[in-house]
Amino acid sequence: MPFVVLLSCAVMLAAPAPSPAPAAGARVSTGPTLAVEDTLHTEVPEVLVRAPRVTLDEILDRVARGEARRDSALHDVAFTATLRVVTPATEKKPAELWEETVARVYKQKPDQVRSVTLRHWEKKPPKKQAKDGEQDDADMEFSPSTEERIVNFAFRPEARRDFRYRIVGREVLGDHLIYRIAFEPRSLVGDDPGGVVWVDTRDFVIVRQELDFSRSPVPLLLKGIDRVVIERQEVDGHWVLRRMLVRLSLTISIPKFGRGVDLAFAMNDYAINRGIDPAIFAPAAAPVGKR
Amino acid sequence: MSARLVVPTRLAVVIAAIVVAGGARADETPAPAPAPADTALHRYFGLTAQPADTAGLDSTLAARLERPWRSGRGPRRVGLAPSYTFDRANGSTVSGRAIVSDRDAHVMLTGDGAYATGPREWLGGGELSWWRRRSGTITRLELSGGWRTGTIDRDFPDPQLAMVRAFVNGSDRQHYLRREGFRVRASARRSDLFAAFAYEDWFESPLTVTSYWNLLKRPLVVPYNIPAASGRMRGFSTELGARLPRLPVRAGLDFDLASRPLGGDFDYGRLRLSLAGEFPILGFLSLLPQMRYGLLEGDAVPQAAFYLGGPRSLRSLYTNSRAGTGLAIARLDVVQGGDLLALLHLPHPAMLPLQAGAFVASGAVWGADPFHVHSTLRGEWPARDAWLSEAGVSLLYRPGIPDDDGYFRIDHAWRLGPGPPSIGWTVSYSRMFDLVPGF
Repeated sequence: MPFVVLLSCAVMLAAPAPSPAPAAGARVSTGPTLAVEDTLHTEVPEVLVRAPRVTLDEILDRVARGEARRDSALHDVAFTATLRVVTPATEKKPAELWEETVARVYKQKPDQVRSVTLRHWEKKPPKKQAKDGEQDDADMEFSPSTEERIVNFAFRPEARRDFRYRIVGREVLGDHLIYRIAFEPRSLVGDDPGGVVWVDTRDFVIVRQELDFSRSPVPLLLKGIDRVVIERQEVDGHWVLRRMLVRLSLTISIPKFGRGVDLAFAMNDYAINRGIDPAIFAPAAAPVGKR
Repeated sequence: MSARLVVPTRLAVVIAAIVVAGGARADETPAPAPAPADTALHRYFGLTAQPADTAGLDSTLAARLERPWRSGRGPRRVGLAPSYTFDRANGSTVSGRAIVSDRDAHVMLTGDGAYATGPREWLGGGELSWWRRRSGTITRLELSGGWRTGTIDRDFPDPQLAMVRAFVNGSDRQHYLRREGFRVRASARRSDLFAAFAYEDWFESPLTVTSYWNLLKRPLVVPYNIPAASGRMRGFSTELGARLPRLPVRAGLDFDLASRPLGGDFDYGRLRLSLAGEFPILGFLSLLPQMRYGLLEGDAVPQAAFYLGGPRSLRSLYTNSRAGTGLAIARLDVVQGGDLLALLHLPHPAMLPLQAGAFVASGAVWGADPFHVHSTLRGEWPARDAWLSEAGVSLLYRPGIPDDDGYFRIDHAWRLGPGPPSIGWTVSYSRMFDLVPGF
């Protein structure tokens, strides 16, 4: 019985302190009071985890393999790309769109690419075009590659010697385990950025990246790159680039433009591995007299 | 701002899309679609992060796929560029360059013509290049030729700053030769590997000094030009460069072969080995060791010799002040990371992040000397007394353009041990790893 007595004492000592008196003005219930049980205590036996913890090196290897697998699963890709140049809002003036180009892009391995400009708009077009009332099409040039090096440049096998890596977090989102891995360049004389990537351990692909430019890559023109966010999206089971948002600061203030520049590069309306009509990649020869 | 923009311009775009199944016109302000859920990212980027308005895009795409010749600027580009150069052998050279490229065909054709006012000669040439990028490898095939001016030191040419020096105060110390002929070169480049193979056929001839003037009317510091051996160089060259796996080290191996059996006038083999790396320590200092070894076997013509001295070689010696058939040089640079002026709490413009550095170096040339001053016995390694050593300090500025790894440097070097007195301060522009081939 002494054990029971001790347990009772312990329970009493562990019981919560009496509730403070209700504050003035608080409504006091006049009906029955429902007690809140907060003295229950449960214990589960310790479970010794014998499985080896996945090392950072192993995670990096899996990310490299995951990225390679992601790319190898893509045969042809079509998407709508939007490039937008904006002066960000300041205390004196709101954000302002300066240029926007929208294009439909077709890529087919191994090396075919075609982009069709759908819209190009400039706030201040060149004088001749403004006079004619029509803006020139500005072609956006794309690489035929689907590797998306902008996302995985620091996680390619050959980049391992150029960066330091560390795990900064593990998060469970839904039924996905997400690793956050920070990377920073080893070199003190180069201009590689550091950053953080979010890796979905289901496919071991990078789903998001934030870059940190501790040094301006072009100090003569750019004071710094304040923020870069790169996001991917899953389309038909493939992780592909969704958008890249960049905020830059210029070293000199451009009249009527300012020092700040935002760039957005968004990709949507994906069609993946659905086949692309070979005519898309054929040279665009104009019939006689039709130009 | 966006609310004011959205309503009228969206309406305009929709109406325009209905009326004209074409692209947007100048008066159609693209209207952002309604803002998505308010997240921290969207609050930060605001208008930038909003999705584009898609009204009319489908019909525009259909129209442009049907009549592709009416959209875009097409894959072909044409460019023209005038230029002006100056050196003491050619004097003022006025030139023009034309470029025609076809993005889809991966072909570029360049042609240039120039008139050198010193020797009163027409120069020029052209280059046809074809390239292809596949699986991260860029393959390139180039055919180039013409009548051109080259530098005697084929390892460390410095055309831009040499021209400024020659033009401003006549302090250019490079030596020049005429090269007439052609070269076919195939190369492949990956992020960590570079390989090139070329066949060359050049008639090389000496040049003399024809222009003695400069802006400050100073006497030329080098009033002569080392005469190149006149004759045809016909042979092969190979370049290999690699970044070693798992190590921050890059290596280079170059070999030139000029051969009489191929119909040339010279017979030599010219080998260069180079190694460089970066090893950060303490989080704010980088050690950058570099070494280069070169050996010339066969005809010791001046245009195949190795030259010592200058910002990209031994900084305490004047450019090209010593030469030989063998070269060995090793240098250790220590460079501070980050912004020196910010570290010292000195106010400065953001465009001027300076870095401090220090260096020690040793180098030697040996064998037949085109200057006929320091000729020593040929061999594979220099004698002990051929070595010159130095130590110095540097102030570095990386502008980021035109080369992402190019630095403007102000160096001051002191002689260590016996040898000619140091030249003191030098101003130069070079890559940080300037003893290894860049790729």
